[in-house]
Amino acid sequence: MSTENSRPVIKGRPSDGLIRQNIVLMSGLLIGSVIAGATDFRSAAAISVVFAFITFFSIALCRFVPRKIVYTVRIIIYAFVSSALYIPAYFICNSLMGGEVIIRVGIYLPALVTNHVILSKTETRFFHLPYKSMLLEVFGYITGFVAVCMITGIIRDLFVNSAIGSVNVDVGFEIPALETTFGGFFVVGVLAGICRAIYNYNQKRRDSK
Amino acid sequence: MQSLISLFNAALLAILIQNSIFERALGPNILIYASRKKEQVIGFSLMITYVTTLSSILAWVLDSFLSHLSFFSILMPVLYILVISFIYILSLVLVWRFLPKLFGKIKTYVHVSVFNCSVLGALFLNAQFGGDIAQYIGFGIGTGAGFFLAGYLLYIAHPRLNSELVPAAFRGLPITLVYVGVISLALYAFAGYATR
Repeated sequence: MSTENSRPVIKGRPSDGLIRQNIVLMSGLLIGSVIAGATDFRSAAAISVVFAFITFFSIALCRFVPRKIVYTVRIIIYAFVSSALYIPAYFICNSLMGGEVIIRVGIYLPALVTNHVILSKTETRFFHLPYKSMLLEVFGYITGFVAVCMITGIIRDLFVNSAIGSVNVDVGFEIPALETTFGGFFVVGVLAGICRAIYNYNQKRRDSK
Repeated sequence: MQSLISLFNAALLAILIQNSIFERALGPNILIYASRKKEQVIGFSLMITYVTTLSSILAWVLDSFLSHLSFFSILMPVLYILVISFIYILSLVLVWRFLPKLFGKIKTYVHVSVFNCSVLGALFLNAQFGGDIAQYIGFGIGTGAGFFLAGYLLYIAHPRLNSELVPAAFRGLPITLVYVGVISLALYAFAGYATR
């Protein structure tokens, strides 16, 4: 059971979380909630609200957990803090989105408390940054997750329900299987490929300059 | 005898119809990480089976006493995290004390295999389906076995999914997700799917 008392400072940019280190499309973290939970616009919005609240405040609070405590115990504290923050997150989501959406999303909302941005990324990245930079970077990572979650929700809502939220948008045909889990795997897989293609293209252009 | 049948049925349900990866997408990131090496697939699957099975027993006790409360669903994450943490600490201390060699092997990934959506999700699904203690245990065992099935299927495909034959942008994670989607589609046949 090792202790990590030192905190080497690493360089980070708030924009990293948007594309270069997007937690869903580039790192493959938290894909479960997007694949199986974000089946329409409102479900995606509910997941985004709960994720943003739990992740931001968990990381902001867990930063104060002394590094003298072994990681074996620290991870329990992180998980406990994030699960306790689920309670206010639930009420915020309930007041914003309504109880029906929470029931529809089901276990994917409370499952967000064991997300690896809080449990692992904190140790490998966030806690090595100065506090303000850390909060900015966490905000960037959350924005990256919310963007992917909402895009997935909108695509599925559009092709399954011919709507985006409460606005009807007739696309001329329907793909009902997109709301299933395997449909979610396909959508997120293709989005990850597109994101990497854009990133690789930009990287090549930058290198050639 | 009836309890054994319940246990077996629940395990089968967790492996084929409610598979934590292919049907529920709980913890695919852990699966992708674990599927790089055969030893990791086995190690992660054993850890998940162990934790979900023991946690399911404690979760059954909690559910039996508290599930009638109207606010139980809001408290579930905190309570289940406490259950998982208790088993995690107790097991680690026992392994550290009595099996130091094993402790050295598992310490790098034990926290990842315990605190993840597969384990927590199994407890949520158990609470959702309800049932007796045999069903809870069966579902716990089945979750780990289902994870092993998914992990092994990904492990054998890993070299091809990361080969030069796949376009650079789709190599690795994107094509892996599509591959898992194809298997998930095949497993849907067990549950059945009807379009609206």
